[in-house]
Amino acid sequence: MSQIKRSVSLYSYQDSYYCGKLDLEGCLRETSKTGATGVELLAETMIKQFPNPIYTEEFQARWKEWLKKYNLTPTCYDAFLENHIYDNRTLSLGEQVEMMKRDLKCASILGFSCIRTLVSTPIDVIEGSLDYAEEVGVKIGLEVHAPFSLNSTWAEGYLNRLSGSASKYNYFAFIPDMGIFCKRVPDVLEDKWRRKGAQQKFIDMVNEAYADRVANGFTKIEYSLNLGEANMNYRNANGQARLTEIFKAEGASPADFGYLNASYTYSWSDPQDLIDNIDRICHTHGKCYNTHEDYVETAVAIPEVVEAYKKCGYDGYISTEYEGGEHLRDDFEVPDIEQVRRHQEALRRAIEG
Amino acid sequence: MAGRQIYNPEGFKNVERDGKVCGFEFQFKLQYYRGITLSIIRDIAVTIDGEKIPRENVFLTINGETFSLEECRTVVSPLYRWEFGEFGTVTVAKEGGLAKGPHHISVLQHIAPSYMPFPIQAVCDADFEI
Repeated sequence: MSQIKRSVSLYSYQDSYYCGKLDLEGCLRETSKTGATGVELLAETMIKQFPNPIYTEEFQARWKEWLKKYNLTPTCYDAFLENHIYDNRTLSLGEQVEMMKRDLKCASILGFSCIRTLVSTPIDVIEGSLDYAEEVGVKIGLEVHAPFSLNSTWAEGYLNRLSGSASKYNYFAFIPDMGIFCKRVPDVLEDKWRRKGAQQKFIDMVNEAYADRVANGFTKIEYSLNLGEANMNYRNANGQARLTEIFKAEGASPADFGYLNASYTYSWSDPQDLIDNIDRICHTHGKCYNTHEDYVETAVAIPEVVEAYKKCGYDGYISTEYEGGEHLRDDFEVPDIEQVRRHQEALRRAIEG
Repeated sequence: MAGRQIYNPEGFKNVERDGKVCGFEFQFKLQYYRGITLSIIRDIAVTIDGEKIPRENVFLTINGETFSLEECRTVVSPLYRWEFGEFGTVTVAKEGGLAKGPHHISVLQHIAPSYMPFPIQAVCDADFEI
């Protein structure tokens, strides 16, 4: 029997939270109802006047009481490292390490065993925070989010610097986001651009180009502190500029270009990458966009990912991170509670099947 | 089809100082998924009935404190985070405020989370009545 465990990232309930339908406790209650046993928190989203309350006994007691009441284990704390908090400079290395330590401390207080740090995190900041991570017993998990990937020069850059015999290096790990395993562009994205006026002919061209990239392999993004530039280089290396020229020549509308550009935020990696890096994976984001009534996710290769994890004996959490709402919320009410329920059921079937 | 609410429908009103109408205010929510320090707000660009409001005439009130957009650049205290899901109040200095009747507002919410390759620019449109 597989030891893979299920969690929910409260990111998933952002639309219900935004509208006032769920508060933090409500999100925990809904998480529990799905059968998940773990919870992932974005403190900056749902704890007002962050981080102040986390340091108070009152909040700590309430948090513990909720976890007990809803039978949930804290899995991952999502940190943001706001290193451009001022518009006229980047925070110094020392300031960034201080910020990372603050998040490690908050995570530790709330009982989390890892934090999620974003793809933009400089290697030096992680290196400088590892002693403290070991001291508080909280791993620093670098999110591997589309368009980034494992088994890339980007990931190697981190591994080369953050490996070694010192025990602190056990506190650096990866958090793959299942959005890197998109076999196709999510249907909710396609539907949104169609509502905005994208024409079927151009939608088909975008989808065919995506299928070609999946079949032939994506050119991978490089490590860079200039994210905008790295992103554009990556997009063009994967054919965005070429396809744009074709669209121009064929008289595509702004909505057609909108769908083209949006399609480049999705990517496909071989699930074998998970097996190759299993010793370095501490947590997983179960990214999802639209899970249908039959529990099939429109874009993400759930069965293939879970199969890879079973092969290598992954015993961590997969944490539902529903993101389809961003393609619905301008026009419809977002069914986030139902989407999380369906995705958890899809995960359960894959794990137990 | 009904998208999520951005503006507080009850929040549009003229503001008075010393017995004179000196502007108007509205309330809207941050179009992002976490609370932010005001320092990452690059702009709140207000256009009312086609008229662009100069940046220095726009003020943001969070948790009882009012900041100009220029002042927002250095506001990092947890006390004045613009919380996710909560209305921020924007006051616009405009002599005489808005006339009674229908109006159209279009606001560009421009924020720059550190990790994003491109900033977030959300256009928030609404029709309302004074």
